[in-house]
Amino acid sequence: MSEFPSTLLLLALCAYAAGMAGALVFRRAERLANGIGFGLASAGGTLGLASFVSALASGSCATAGSIQLVPSLIPFVRFSIRADPLGCFFGMTISLLAVAIGIYSIGYARGYYGRKSVGALAALFNLLLLSTTLVFLADHAWFFLMAWEIMALSAYCLVSFDHEHEESRGAGVLFFVMSHAGTAGLILGFLILHQASGTWGFDGFASLGGRLPASLRNVCFLLFLFGFGVKAGMVPLHIWLPAAHPVAPSNVSALMSGVLIKTGIYGLVRVSFDWLGAPPSWWGGAVLAIGTISALLGVLFALMEHDLKRLLAYHSIENIGIILMGLGASMMFLHWGRPALAALALIAGLYHTINHASFKALLFLGAGAVLHATHTRNMEEMGGLARRMRWTALFFLVGAVAISALPPLNGFVSEWLTYQSLLQGFGASSSLLRLMLPLSGAMLALTGALAAACFVKAFGITFLAQPRSAHARSALEAPAPMLAGQAILTAACVFLGLFPMLLLRLFDPLTLQLTGQQLSQQLVAARGMAIAAIAPQGGAVSTLGIALMLVCLLPAPLAAWLLFGRRTRMRVGPTWDCGLRGLTPHMQYTATGFSKPLRMIFKALFRPRREVQREYDFSPYFATTIRFESHVEEPFQTRIYRPLKWLVLRASRRLRALQAGSIQAYLIYIFVTLVALLLVAL
Amino acid sequence: MHPPGSTEIASQAITFMAALMLVLQLLMIPQRMLLATIRLFAIQSFLLAAIAAVVAYHHQASHVYVVAILTVVGKVLLLPWLLNRLVRRIEIHQEIEPLLNAPASMLLGGGLTLLGYVVARPFTSLERLGHNTLAIALTLLLTGFFLMINRRKAITQVLALLTVENGVMLAAVALTTYGMPLVVELGIFFDVLVAVMVLGILVYRIRENIASIDTSQLNQLKG
Repeated sequence: MSEFPSTLLLLALCAYAAGMAGALVFRRAERLANGIGFGLASAGGTLGLASFVSALASGSCATAGSIQLVPSLIPFVRFSIRADPLGCFFGMTISLLAVAIGIYSIGYARGYYGRKSVGALAALFNLLLLSTTLVFLADHAWFFLMAWEIMALSAYCLVSFDHEHEESRGAGVLFFVMSHAGTAGLILGFLILHQASGTWGFDGFASLGGRLPASLRNVCFLLFLFGFGVKAGMVPLHIWLPAAHPVAPSNVSALMSGVLIKTGIYGLVRVSFDWLGAPPSWWGGAVLAIGTISALLGVLFALMEHDLKRLLAYHSIENIGIILMGLGASMMFLHWGRPALAALALIAGLYHTINHASFKALLFLGAGAVLHATHTRNMEEMGGLARRMRWTALFFLVGAVAISALPPLNGFVSEWLTYQSLLQGFGASSSLLRLMLPLSGAMLALTGALAAACFVKAFGITFLAQPRSAHARSALEAPAPMLAGQAILTAACVFLGLFPMLLLRLFDPLTLQLTGQQLSQQLVAARGMAIAAIAPQGGAVSTLGIALMLVCLLPAPLAAWLLFGRRTRMRVGPTWDCGLRGLTPHMQYTATGFSKPLRMIFKALFRPRREVQREYDFSPYFATTIRFESHVEEPFQTRIYRPLKWLVLRASRRLRALQAGSIQAYLIYIFVTLVALLLVAL
Repeated sequence: MHPPGSTEIASQAITFMAALMLVLQLLMIPQRMLLATIRLFAIQSFLLAAIAAVVAYHHQASHVYVVAILTVVGKVLLLPWLLNRLVRRIEIHQEIEPLLNAPASMLLGGGLTLLGYVVARPFTSLERLGHNTLAIALTLLLTGFFLMINRRKAITQVLALLTVENGVMLAAVALTTYGMPLVVELGIFFDVLVAVMVLGILVYRIRENIASIDTSQLNQLKG
């Protein structure tokens, strides 16, 4: 057992802080601010990655002590961090992204030269990295909340960074409001925990659940579920996500979608596994149900989008759902006394967390490169980019394959583990488990298929066929740093997919801490070449084997052509154009058209509206102009949030009468209260 | 420690002076002239200092003397002088325009005095020296508050706030044997001093900006 590499960790935190300070100091010199800010972010990420991975690999994080960052001047606040296995795991995730996105941003921020303050962007970016890392490591309730709030505020500033656009400001405000509603839930939850334990330190909260009365424990869980659920973006608290992610600068979207929403997952795991202990069965059931609904609705709404970044944002909701399915199943197994299965499901959920972080960040970076080149987020105006942006197209394709959970990439591994744990429900003793788990498994299968369809659309419409606009026709490949950032994440996706056994080893201290099990020995089969699910019905799969097979089969078509195809003659001719004069981009399949069959299947949900106006001279078959409009409804927006917003605004207008603006009136309020209290005291 | 009979005398003196403070406060309610109000406040503060001195002499508590001296220096001399100067400098109407007319204000003042006495009745046993000092302190507080509401000009509101503070000091001196800890009293004292300074500047600015120091016109600033 070696010592925890705390010096490395502190250096990483210092690098973020220095990046922030440096970017601010040199904000007048854009190039310098860009290099220092994002360079240090990337360096901090590298240091952090080294420290977290080595801590997890050596198991030294299990015994890591509390480190006081700065002496506290406030009586009941302690600025201390402790890198326990769970914190280390999430720290590893954010560090990985910091490395890649930091490098990418050096290229991306050049687009802001002369228009916006690059120094401010870099400083806020570093602040977001620093505060999010501290959220994962904080060891004290108030420190955690401070880091949480700084994270929310810096994210708010970054979301509304392009504040000239009304859309950005609106999205920022929505994020701000939702985030603070969530924080209110967290504060209440912490107050309950404090009352029960008499301390604000996290070590005092550990396995507190037994000492709380059942009702209070449930209230506590619900408060935290709400608070962390808002940040995670689970349905129905997700509405800020598709609004905020598209309008933020793309490097920020990647970080937010990759890590920021994972703070919600971190919090949920921390609360329900570490603190509240031995969950009742309905907790797991609720999380599983929410996860299933989020996954399904997320992918369905993603299918209807033709704004590339909004599409990716909806996919974040889907993937959060998949992660929650793993967590929910784990909690159910824990309740029914099957710790090994609980550990398996937890690993599945957390594996998907790091996978989603890597491929979603990759996709957002790709979308950022496309945005950089075409200046539009609307997929209907793209097309044909694969010829002009070869590398970006390749990286985006890898990301799309990974998120569609196709072997041998990383999305497949974690979804396979999720399936394995969900399908273990068949062997469960309770009928509820037997019903819920396989049902969720089926929904996950549906989700996977829909996600694949959605990325066929996303990749096909964006990168293939002919350019649909002048911008797309003149698009240029992204600069080298942007490609390098994407390449790092592409490598991570491939690595996490091909060598899951290496990552599984890192989960050992984590599952030991939370469920008392160590599974890496059982999960790794065939001398580390394959992974196998535990228990009798468990299957085994080797992504490495699949990849090798693919590589081996690659020459097969060539061989077949050499053997049989040489005698057939090849003809080259124009594509058939229905007898019209040449093919135009208008004849191509559109994103809207592609998703139409699914829009019709799920029309109860989407309530699609379409409006067609055609003008013609002599016959409706020869229209001169056609105007086509199609809308789908966002039921949560129209059914829940709009009435809620209306109510709040109305109540605020009423209350505004109290704010008369006159000193006498305010004094009268105080005076009347005082006299009333005195009279009551009589 | 105490010569026989001295407790009785001290108690009588404190009761008398506290009652005078109350009378002065009630005189302030219908008072229409600004400079007269400042003078009334100065006398009231002097009485407070005298009470503190009696308490200090009786209990041989030297730090209460400090309170007495500070009260004389600050509230009897310095603050009235500052306020006088302010009134002269900004050349405002000497006349105070209350929101409520004098008879109604007096009636309300009487009601508040009654409330103060009723509220303080359960606590009379806590008083070491003098009678009904807590009741008078509470009344000063309540009527001071009412004065603040009933005045339009910022300066008169400052004055009312100072009488509230007098009430708080009276309660502190009369109820506890040795007064509040010196630090606390010093804190309150400087608080008030700074408040007056700030308000003085503020009054000046308000006048410059909206050409009046009538605070009921401040609601024009509302967005």
